[in-house]
Amino acid sequence: MAWQRVASFSEIDVDGVLGVDVNGSPVALYRLSNEVFATSGICTHALALLSDGFVEDGRIECPLHQGQFDVRSGKALCAPVTEDLRTYAVKLEGDDVFIDMERPAASAPAVANAAPNCKAGDGVRNAEEGDQAGTRKIATMNVDPELSLTKRYVWPAEGLTRIPDWVYTDQTIYEREIERIFHGRTWNYVALECEVPKVGDFIRSNVGPTPVVVVRADDGSINVVENRCSHRAAEFCRELSGNVKEFVCPYHQWSYDLQGNLAGVPFRRGVNGKGGMPADFNNAQHGLRRLNVTTHRGVVFASYLDDMESFQNYLGPEVLNEFEATFDGRKPRLLGYYRHTLPGNWKLYHENLKDPYHATLLHTFLVTFGLLVAGNRSLMLADATGRHGVMASAKSERKSVSSDAKKEMRAYRDGMTLAEPRFMDFVEEFDSPWSVTMATIWPNLIIQREMNTLGLRQIIPTGPHEFIMKWTMFGFEGDDEEMTRHRLRQGNLMGPAGFLGLEDNEAIKFVQDGMQHVPGGQHLVKLDPAVAAGTSDSLISEASIRAMYRHWRAEMGL
Amino acid sequence: MSEPAVTRHSPPDGAPLDSQLAQALDEQRLSDWTEMFTDDALYVILSRENYDRGLPVGLIYCENKRMIHDRAFALMETSMFAPRYLRHIIANQVVVSVESNGTIKSRANYVVLQVLFDRPDATLHQVGVYYDVFRRVGGELKLAERRCVYDNLLVPNALCIPV
Ligand code: FES
Ligand SMILES: [Fe+2]
Repeated sequence: MAWQRVASFSEIDVDGVLGVDVNGSPVALYRLSNEVFATSGICTHALALLSDGFVEDGRIECPLHQGQFDVRSGKALCAPVTEDLRTYAVKLEGDDVFIDMERPAASAPAVANAAPNCKAGDGVRNAEEGDQAGTRKIATMNVDPELSLTKRYVWPAEGLTRIPDWVYTDQTIYEREIERIFHGRTWNYVALECEVPKVGDFIRSNVGPTPVVVVRADDGSINVVENRCSHRAAEFCRELSGNVKEFVCPYHQWSYDLQGNLAGVPFRRGVNGKGGMPADFNNAQHGLRRLNVTTHRGVVFASYLDDMESFQNYLGPEVLNEFEATFDGRKPRLLGYYRHTLPGNWKLYHENLKDPYHATLLHTFLVTFGLLVAGNRSLMLADATGRHGVMASAKSERKSVSSDAKKEMRAYRDGMTLAEPRFMDFVEEFDSPWSVTMATIWPNLIIQREMNTLGLRQIIPTGPHEFIMKWTMFGFEGDDEEMTRHRLRQGNLMGPAGFLGLEDNEAIKFVQDGMQHVPGGQHLVKLDPAVAAGTSDSLISEASIRAMYRHWRAEMGL
Repeated sequence: MSEPAVTRHSPPDGAPLDSQLAQALDEQRLSDWTEMFTDDALYVILSRENYDRGLPVGLIYCENKRMIHDRAFALMETSMFAPRYLRHIIANQVVVSVESNGTIKSRANYVVLQVLFDRPDATLHQVGVYYDVFRRVGGELKLAERRCVYDNLLVPNALCIPV
């Protein structure tokens, strides 16, 4: 690419900024006196358009969080921005402004406090002019503003009690989540240790959408590597699980050891002295991408960052306590998997389990058979950051349902009984006041302790509108035959055909459906105003959802 | 997995009951469907992945007719899911063995097609194999065991009606 005409000089106000769309990329053009400068049009901190910002003293101030950049050099000048803007070379020919997106601006003074060279006219600008000068919408560059390609990500003014639909439906937001959350400062669940008990045992897994292989190496360590050949990116491991001595990519037979090191490259030195890899090719630099790994009580987590805090710190004391109530030191034993797709945004699943309000209303099964009622002792816990949560309740006797509560819940029907009620029995086996806990471990794990049916649900997002859920159901070593069967019978509650599970999947699909055809929509999450965001002891609360979005917005810079 | 030599009966003894079961499910007459099982019937839907690896977890896991009854009752009376039409299509029925007491072991391929009301297409909701045991109770042929082993490991969202 080379020089492209992007605007006419006269369109850009003096000391102003103009947003233009260049081959789909937002670019901001600034005019300081008779000079024009160009930078990337989106703030490096959050998804805000700089063309909505204000230019003053040669700086552009972002409209969202008031970060500032030097317009000549792109340099980030003050909090919260830390990353510089990309700059582009500009030239003027008559009234035409050209930029070259592959070339940065010629070395410009990056002086934070440099005053602009001069101003138009007499150099005095009155307040009224100043207000106008700074802003022109990027959409004015499009032939039809309604078709503007540039999207806006503005959180509703009401704050956390509203969630805009674009949080769940937008591709750009989704891609940013992969970078900032799943590949960011998080511990992602990948496996149970008991799935790879022996050297060479592996299973396929995911970190966010990214396929990985979890494998036990010769030294007994558990390794998590990307399932992507370092030669031509082939997803080399195709079996869901197995045992190998090494991994061999089927395409050109590159081989890797159990820690992901590149072991062999066929014809590395060519044939008959011709071809082959360059002489300086070094296997050590071409291993599989390896992730940081930690385990806790038999559960394996991975992170793209090497300087992660400890898993215990990551959970915080209260959520760690619930984690250790379920993983109480007994060794987990694999009972099998459920896998399903769910046509909804992945965050809706977290929200479903931070929404105790729905439990007695959607799941009429629970109420009909007296398992959960709105008056049950319960807690909706959020950790200090808001990212993790635990929905907990204690089973009550059926007679405790007050007639008031019954009236509220249309589902409650006296006299309905199960022909085989023992599948709802709760065998006390945990040191916990709760008979049911659902822990949402940010960003990709739900730990289900629904009485005695236990499962790890792994979220694998595949786009803004869909994710895959993999359920790893387990019991413990030492369970006798009857206990295992009890867990399996009780498993009828959960999974994609579970009495409760199928309803959650359907409800989440309905939510995604509801967002497809209503532009500019918002959700309402106002329940329980006494708790702005965080832990609540009421079931009729959305305070944990608000806490999650406080965290999400900070991580996403929104 | 090794299986006894396959002998063909024509028509397979299980076939008419298979058709009745499929029809009851298609018409969502789940209590009629329940009545086609023996009291001690096993009814499990599990993935090919779990089945091949000897892992017991099932999407639906019923150890007797009472649990099948509860399943049918809960789906009809308490469960919330979008309305849908389903077609159960059974083919390649093979009688694996007939025991002296009249118990028939058989297998068949099945396909379940699902139509939601807001899309034109019928989607292939599940494809798999029934591993069945039929037995006569008071002269009537009933289903004593059905393992539905499905190949499409990723269940499309939710399984609302049995297969
Ligand atoms: S792509 Fe894996 S060896 Fe070539
Ligand atoms: Fe639920």
